[in-house]
Parts: sequence; structure tokens; C-alpha cells
Amino acid sequence: MKFSLSSSDLLKACQKTSSAIGNNPVIAILEDFLFVIESDVLTIVTTDLETSIVTTLPVMSDQDGKIAIPGKTLLETLKALPEQPITFTVNLETRGIELTSAYGKYRLTGDDVEDFPSIPQPDAVDTINLDASLIHQALQKTHFATSSDELREAMTGVNVVIDFNKIIFNATDAHKLVRYTFTDVSCDNTASFILPKKSLSMLRNALPAQGDLSIAYNNSHAFFESEDTKVACRLIDAKYPNVAGIIPTDNPYTLVVDRLDFLNSIKRIAIYANKTSNQITLTLTENSLTINTQDLDFSNEANEQLSCQYDGEPMDIRFNARFLAELLAVIDADDVQIQLADSTKAGVITPLTAKEGEELLMLIMPVMY
Amino acid sequence: MANNSSDKRSIVHMDLDTFFVSVERLLDSRLEGKPILIGGKSDRGVVASCSYEARAFGIHSAMPMRMARSLCPEAIVLRGDADSYSKYSRLVTEIIRDGAPLFEKSSIDEFYIDLTGMDKYFGCMRFATDLRKRIIQESGLPISFGLSSNKTVAKIATGEAKPNNEIWVEPGREKPFLAPLSVRKIPMVGEKTFQTLCNLGVKRIHTIQQMPGEAMRHVLGKNGLLIWKKAHGIDPSPVQPYSERKSISTERTFDRDTTDVFQLRTTLTAMTEKLAFQLRRTQKLTGCISVKLRYSDFKTQSLQSRIQYTAVDHQLIPAVKQLFDRLYKRRVLIRLVGVRFSHLVQGSYQMDLFEDSSKTIRLYQAMDRMRDRFGDRSILRASSMGARSVGSFNPFMDNDI
Repeated sequence: MKFSLSSSDLLKACQKTSSAIGNNPVIAILEDFLFVIESDVLTIVTTDLETSIVTTLPVMSDQDGKIAIPGKTLLETLKALPEQPITFTVNLETRGIELTSAYGKYRLTGDDVEDFPSIPQPDAVDTINLDASLIHQALQKTHFATSSDELREAMTGVNVVIDFNKIIFNATDAHKLVRYTFTDVSCDNTASFILPKKSLSMLRNALPAQGDLSIAYNNSHAFFESEDTKVACRLIDAKYPNVAGIIPTDNPYTLVVDRLDFLNSIKRIAIYANKTSNQITLTLTENSLTINTQDLDFSNEANEQLSCQYDGEPMDIRFNARFLAELLAVIDADDVQIQLADSTKAGVITPLTAKEGEELLMLIMPVMY
Repeated sequence: MANNSSDKRSIVHMDLDTFFVSVERLLDSRLEGKPILIGGKSDRGVVASCSYEARAFGIHSAMPMRMARSLCPEAIVLRGDADSYSKYSRLVTEIIRDGAPLFEKSSIDEFYIDLTGMDKYFGCMRFATDLRKRIIQESGLPISFGLSSNKTVAKIATGEAKPNNEIWVEPGREKPFLAPLSVRKIPMVGEKTFQTLCNLGVKRIHTIQQMPGEAMRHVLGKNGLLIWKKAHGIDPSPVQPYSERKSISTERTFDRDTTDVFQLRTTLTAMTEKLAFQLRRTQKLTGCISVKLRYSDFKTQSLQSRIQYTAVDHQLIPAVKQLFDRLYKRRVLIRLVGVRFSHLVQGSYQMDLFEDSSKTIRLYQAMDRMRDRFGDRSILRASSMGARSVGSFNPFMDNDI
């Protein structure tokens, strides 16, 4: 079997799929790219058994065939080659692979395609269509809020809730929560599934920045399909906690503050906080916000005052600065609104002006004061 | 012989004389001049501290209480009060912090102070004497000190100065000062090493000074060389400035060895509850817990586990119990249980969106306020009520065998 294509096209396709290739997988063949050639189309498949990525690109070939190519060697070779046509000559019997570039020949041995795990296929009819940019936005706004606590498995992923004409993305580590909602999507059913944290970065890496994207799902997998790339993610089989139940509805006090001023102030103050616990105190009085921290171990102390609008009882409330900064960083609006009740209840953070077609709501739990 | 000519340090070692006894006498003057024993009153208790009057009967600390009482039946035995000892210890620490440039608190009643360079002003001895007078005046507690060029010699000098006195070992006089003393006085030499040395005919430090260092290494290994150096008055270790506690712990020896898992769990719950309150009171979080068991055959086992930083009972108690269940496999009588929290960091408990309701948190706040006002055990979980009081800070811990 012989096929030729542009080295940079192949590199691009390989990089797209390489995130599913682990460093030290349990089965050796998971280190490989599976190349499948069928009527002048090359399909590249990678999998880590949880997430599988499939992408296609046109090639010139003399016959159909399959071969599993060691991932690291191929990727490094392609990276080291300037853009040029390259040719693979594969002996399907011996699995010997010869790569020919303008500079010379490179020989390596492939693996048996029979060993390559089969890739789950969408069997469900439930599908929704949306623009790929929405998925990127949603993942960027939620992935950081997921937990890494193995004991609470459901929280180690992003919960996707499809509810007729809206899609909700939930992520939480039990200390902070992000709920991101698209309101102008059309679909005619409801569903809820959890995408594992690890798949999220692979999705972001493999899916195109924009263009049509369809999402299909069944009980065990979610399938993302764009023009030339498909990603199948195994879902986390756990019950996602009831998010709606913990969103406070009766937080009477509202703080409105310039998002960037607030974020930058927190970043500066956090330098002086204890490096492990990262805690800062917000002191709120009428239209005034003071942020301060203390690190007794090093006698560090910092204090800043910000102008804001605040119409509530004076209060001291303490937060983890890192959480607060992470949340503020993914908001697009100029001003943020934080609704508070007292120092033992979650604060509700929202952009002051919401963008058309989307809703962003965040919760942050204070630390005991 | 001093370390070498470049080492012109001036180190003071201060030690409060019979600290626990002195505090008790301060609180109750009727105890003056009487033999006093402080320690567990039960048959298994040991003497944590004793007055000089009691020492005349041959009693020393770490002696079983039963033996001490038979040596001196008229001695007054006190259970000890960790809270007031800590309070007075803090008081003395504050006076030293106020006066000294650099100090290390090496135990509840011992301090090292680095006075290097102070002789330019008014002399180290003068400075140390003034500080000692101030401590005696302000705290009412007798204290002794030794001044020398390093920590080891200063500590030995304090031992020689006691009670209620001071000694200055001038630079260059370290070796002759140590020579006539028993090798037992070198801080590293315990009962066992002392026996080994005695068997070799080494009783006085003078003898070690005559020996080659290699010989000591041959007999006692690596420590031998260290002891040899100390015997020559050589000790380059620096004074480590006072630092925050890195862990808190508590343990309890049962009156009678037990396999009663219910009692063990109750005790662990009570201990955890107490330590967790201490964490919250001092605004700290722990990231590592460990449980220790000592069996009736004195075999000791412990197990530790890293956890998410926390300071609340409802996370710590299950974690401690889980460790206990993993550890207690032998079905042998248990003599002692202990809990330790380490990896302490400054901070408060990060509440959980799903598990902590505002109600739970307010409950903690209310309980902690009650404890602040009425004492640690003024309010407890029903599940820890069966446990007899557990000391949060146990001054007898090291002696409780």
C-alpha cells in the first residue's frame, strides 16, 4: 500500500488526534495512530479507551488498507520536516513502513491493526446541532471549576443538561460552581450527561474553532462530530448533584464592582496571603469594598480599597482568592454583580449585563469566619 | 577550647526551675517548701515534675508515681494543669521576645538566646542577668541560665547553675568546665548510652576528652562522634528562631488495657473534637492526620493520611475513625491511643456548597463560642461523652510510658 500527502496537513491531523495518546498507556497499541485508507481518504484514529478521536483528510493512494503507526516516532518526524509532499509505503504483510521525504527514507515497523480497540459508534438518534464556537466557549468557562476529588466522581467532569431549547453546562468542585446556559438552541428532548475532565481538553484541542457541530449521545457516550473530526467521549457514570437546589434565591445584598479592577486587586492582595490556604477577607460597608489579607508565618499583610456599589448590611466575608480570581477571569462583562446574604452563605456572581442568548451564573462558598 | 577562633558566639540557655511545681506554688503558696509530685495519680502514672524537696528522697522525673509515693509518702501529689502551665510559659516567652534579639523556644520551659555581638554594648552576662531578673520579677517564677559559646555548653551550664542561679562559662574555658562532670550530663547521653559508657569505664567527661574521636565512633557509631565533639565543647548548631507549632496532637493511656472498640472510638472522637476546636480557635487547617496505637506489649503502630485542608469535626472524625479501623487489626489489648494533626496552615475551613448548610456552620460557630467562654468540654458530641477528659496539650506525654 502506498499513499502520499502534504507533511503539514498530516502533522495538523496528527496533532489534533494526538491528545488521546497517553504517555504510558496500559496497552502498547494505544501509543499508535491507526491509519485507515479507503478510496483516497485517510482516517486517523486515536484512543485512550475513554476518549477516541477520529479525523479524516484526502490522500492519493494506490489501494485501501490499515496500519497502526507508533505515535511518538511519527509525530516527531513530521514536526522535524518542513512542508513538503511525503510518501508512505506500507507492506501490509510484514507491517514494515517506509516514509519517503525529499531528504531521504525512514523506516519503522507498525503494529497489528487487529489489536487496536474498536471505536464506539453513535447508535442513538438524539442529536443536537450548534456552532462549534459555543462548545469552546462553554468549556473555557467551565472546565476550571471541575473537581479533582476522586471520591466525588460526578464532580470531576462537566455536566451537560439539554433541556428543549437550551443547553446548560454545570461545573463545580463543591467550593465554587459555574452554570453556563445557551438559550437559543433548538432540540426536541431532554438529557443530562457528564463529560470527564480529561476529555474536555481533548475536545478543545480536536474540534474546529467554529462551524457546524452535532452532538449525539446515549447512556455511555457522547459523540461530537464536525466536518472532518469526530470525538467520542465515555461519560462519567454517576449522578450529578442537584445544582438548582443549592443556588440561593434570597440573597438580599448586592455588590456591583468593576470586574477588572476587582480581579487585579485580588491578584495583588493574594500575593500576600498564605500560599496554601490563599484566603482574603472582603469588608463591605455602604458603597465601599476593602480587601485584605494576612500571612502570619511571614508577617505579610496587604490591604486595598475599591469603589463599588453596595446596598446591604456591613459584613466581613472571607474567600479563597484563587477561586474568586478564576471565576472573575472568565466573565466577559465590564461589571460584575455579587449577591450576598451573610458570611456563611454562598455568593452569587453574575455579569451585570448578560450577553444575548447566554446566561452565566457562578457560586462561591466563603470560608468559615 | 572554643570551636575555633572565628566562633565567638554568645549563647544563653534559660530553663525555668521545676517549672510545673513553681507554677503550682505561684497559684497556691501553701505548697512552698513541701515535697510536691506532679503527674498522673493512677498506678500507671509517672512523675512529670517534682520539687527539690521531693528530690531529696531520691525521686526524679519519669519515675513511676507508685515508686515515688512509696519513697516519700508525705509528698503532695497534683494532677497538673496544662492550661496554666501553657499560660505561664507564654508569659515568659513574651518577656524574652521583648528583650532578646534572637531566641528559640525548645520546650515549654526552655529557651536558647543568641546574644552574639551584644557584648559590644554592655556585656552579654550583664544582659542575660538583667533579663533573668526581669523574668523573675514579672512572672514570679525562678529561672536559671548558662551563658557560653554554644548551645550544648550553655545547657550543661544551666544544669549546674540550678536551682535559681546563673553560670558564665567564659570563652576558652569550656573544656575544663566540662571535664569533671559526669558523661550523663551531655544532652545526647541517655540511660542506655550512659550504661554503655560506664561499662567501658567512662564516667567523667574528662575521660572522653582524652579519647580519640575514632574510638567513640567505634563504640557508639555516628552519635559517638557527636558526643565526643560535645564533650569537647564543640557544637555549631544555630539558635533556631521561635516558630509556630507544626502539628498538634493528643494521646491517652487507658487506666486498664482494653479491646473495647466502642470505648476506643469514643476516645478518638473526643480527641478529634478537641483538636479540631483547637484548629479553629487558632485559625488553622490541617492537611494530614495520623492515629497511633500502643498495644499492651508496647508495640506501637501509627498510620497517617493526607486529606484536603480542613478544620471541621464532620470531616475529621470519620477520617480518624477510618484510619483507626485500618490500623486496629491485631485484636490485642490496647494501652494507648493518640491522634495527631500535622501539615498545619493558617486559614479557615472552606465551606462546601453541597454538604454544609448555613445551619451547620452556625452550629460550629455557636459551639466554639461556648467553648471559648466556658471551656473545651462545655459542649460535646453525644458520641464523645463516654470518654474521660482528654488533654489537648499533654505535658506528661513524653513521660507516659
